Amino acid sequence: MSLLWLRVAVFLYGIAALAVLPAALYDRPRWRHLAIPATIAGLLFHFVSLTEMLNAAHHSLPVETHETQSLLALLLALAFVLIYARFRALALGIFLLPLAFLLGLLPAFRPGLEADTLPGLSSGWLFLHIALLLAAYAALFVSLVASVLYLIQERRLKSKSLATDRFRLPPLATIDSIALRSLLFGLPCMTAGLLIGSLLAQITYGATYFRDPKILLAFAMWLAYVGMIYIRRHSGLRGRRAVYLSSFVFMVVLCVWAANQLSAVHRFPTP
Amino acid sequence: MSENTNPALVLLGINHNTAPIEVRERLAISAERLPDAIRSLSSVPGIREGLILSTCNRVELLTVQDDTSDLLTFLHEYFAVPAATIKPHLYEFREREAVRHLFRVASSLDSMVVGEPQILGQVKESYTVARDVGAINGSSGGGGQLDRLLQSAFTVAKKVRTETHIGSNSVSIASVAVDLARKIFGSLHGKVILMVGAGKMSELAVRHLIGHGASHLILCNRTKQRAERIAAEFARPGVNVEVIPFEDLYDQATRADIVITSTGAKHHIFGRSNGVHFVQRRRGRPMFFIDIAVPRDVDPRMNEVEGCFVYDIDDLSQVAAGHQADRNREAAAAEKIVAHEVARYQDRLKTLGAVPAILALQENAEALRQAELARTAKVLASLTPEQREAVEAMTRSLTNKLLHPQIVALRKPSE
Repeated sequence: MSLLWLRVAVFLYGIAALAVLPAALYDRPRWRHLAIPATIAGLLFHFVSLTEMLNAAHHSLPVETHETQSLLALLLALAFVLIYARFRALALGIFLLPLAFLLGLLPAFRPGLEADTLPGLSSGWLFLHIALLLAAYAALFVSLVASVLYLIQERRLKSKSLATDRFRLPPLATIDSIALRSLLFGLPCMTAGLLIGSLLAQITYGATYFRDPKILLAFAMWLAYVGMIYIRRHSGLRGRRAVYLSSFVFMVVLCVWAANQLSAVHRFPTP
Repeated sequence: MSENTNPALVLLGINHNTAPIEVRERLAISAERLPDAIRSLSSVPGIREGLILSTCNRVELLTVQDDTSDLLTFLHEYFAVPAATIKPHLYEFREREAVRHLFRVASSLDSMVVGEPQILGQVKESYTVARDVGAINGSSGGGGQLDRLLQSAFTVAKKVRTETHIGSNSVSIASVAVDLARKIFGSLHGKVILMVGAGKMSELAVRHLIGHGASHLILCNRTKQRAERIAAEFARPGVNVEVIPFEDLYDQATRADIVITSTGAKHHIFGRSNGVHFVQRRRGRPMFFIDIAVPRDVDPRMNEVEGCFVYDIDDLSQVAAGHQADRNREAAAAEKIVAHEVARYQDRLKTLGAVPAILALQENAEALRQAELARTAKVLASLTPEQREAVEAMTRSLTNKLLHPQIVALRKPSE
């Protein structure tokens, strides 16, 4: 049943991803009235699907790639709705909603294998570890998208082409605020996620887990994340250089994600 | 006597397209005089309802009347202007064309600056005054043609504003400056403006920016007295005005989010390096330079500095012209809405005209039904109350079904 709800959610994300284009770029209220409710409805179905999936096997966790993708899709769609509620900025949906749609598409039609919990591991803490890190990834992606939008809007203002093109983007200050606040939101998520993960690994594997390439990369990612926030806050980095910096940290995050394949700690037995 | 003739909807007026300002100003009516003018208009023989719309660009009389010839005489007598002076500039619309003209006026399609928002408020104000003095009847009970027409005009104007972008972009230099500032800073609340030099255009831009929330104004002028005079003009509660000496300009400029320059200097006051320095000291927070001076006060290369946005007078004019072109495009879509709404209004009017005939038909049928029931009352006397109710319902239903095609035909608007 959880798959059916997920398919409905993905379908709604697809509608929202299409509707947000005219709504954000041409300021068409009718399309906005479709995009926002479709996203909210998609989120509800997605949440139901996720809850059912987790309850179905009691101790099962979304550790398989497809389930983590699905959870990330939910977080991205949620980020879009929260940003819209706070800043009335639809433009981020141009990037966030298609990504949420694509991330949800694969798990909706090819379910992954739910893993049984390792003995001695609390599935609640493990779920929190995964969810917090995915929230940090989503926050970083939002920040990257906002930085790109900042660059586009800055170029448009500098080229003085606002009178001739009809695209509507949020004000620079709003985009900048979204970029910085999403980073500030992501930092405690990432810190807590890594701490919980470290404690769980310490209990299960002992000190040897420090030699795991994924763990080493994850701490490098945390340092890069903190470094980026420091630079952005203290030097007021915006525009082109902010995009470069966000892209670099995002690449580190992708490496961390890919490193799951090399990590002994992140392999779970399947039923 | 006149009650028997069909009253006509007539719109007579002059506007910025048909009359020069010399004529328009002679017919202009101030807000204080408007009730008296409308009262005088409605007391003209043959006028059943009347309204006067008077703005700086137009004077229009909208009437439901038996005879049209009196309106020119009214203008001549009320304003004491010879009829020959007014007549060449007058336009007159009747019925459908009058409806169309009013819809276009309320939707700001007939304005000098297409899409300007004030006109709808002015039409509403005239309507309120006309209602208050009793020159417009209420639309309940079949009367009140002007009331119905004006309500429709307001609805059409709202539709045009929501379904097109006719009024969404500014077309004056000062409001373009505000629009651009909002694209950079979002809200202008608490923003600091630095005004270097003085001039009508820059003062107007400052006024617009303060109107949109900027609350701190720094004035810098080579002549301190002049700066202080301007400071006195802008001083008001909620606005912090400060005058700084010209020597402190480069130190103080970093505090400003928006810099408006209009000095008579022969060379650039702000160079590219100043921009780099300002943004560094502001930790990357953007600055918006509005350069109204000719020759320019700000080196255009400053626009290349990350965080600096420089617009000179030509750039602002170009944006305004682009917005005007946008408005013209939107106006074409708005004209379609107006045409559609005029047709709908005319259809509704025809349906309303059929109401008395429909009522007469229904009353006649009901009288016949009652008469037939009375004729068979003796036969029906033996029926139980439920059976009697069933017969009542059956006859009522039969009458309604027989009348239905005729009522539909009466309501159907003629081609």
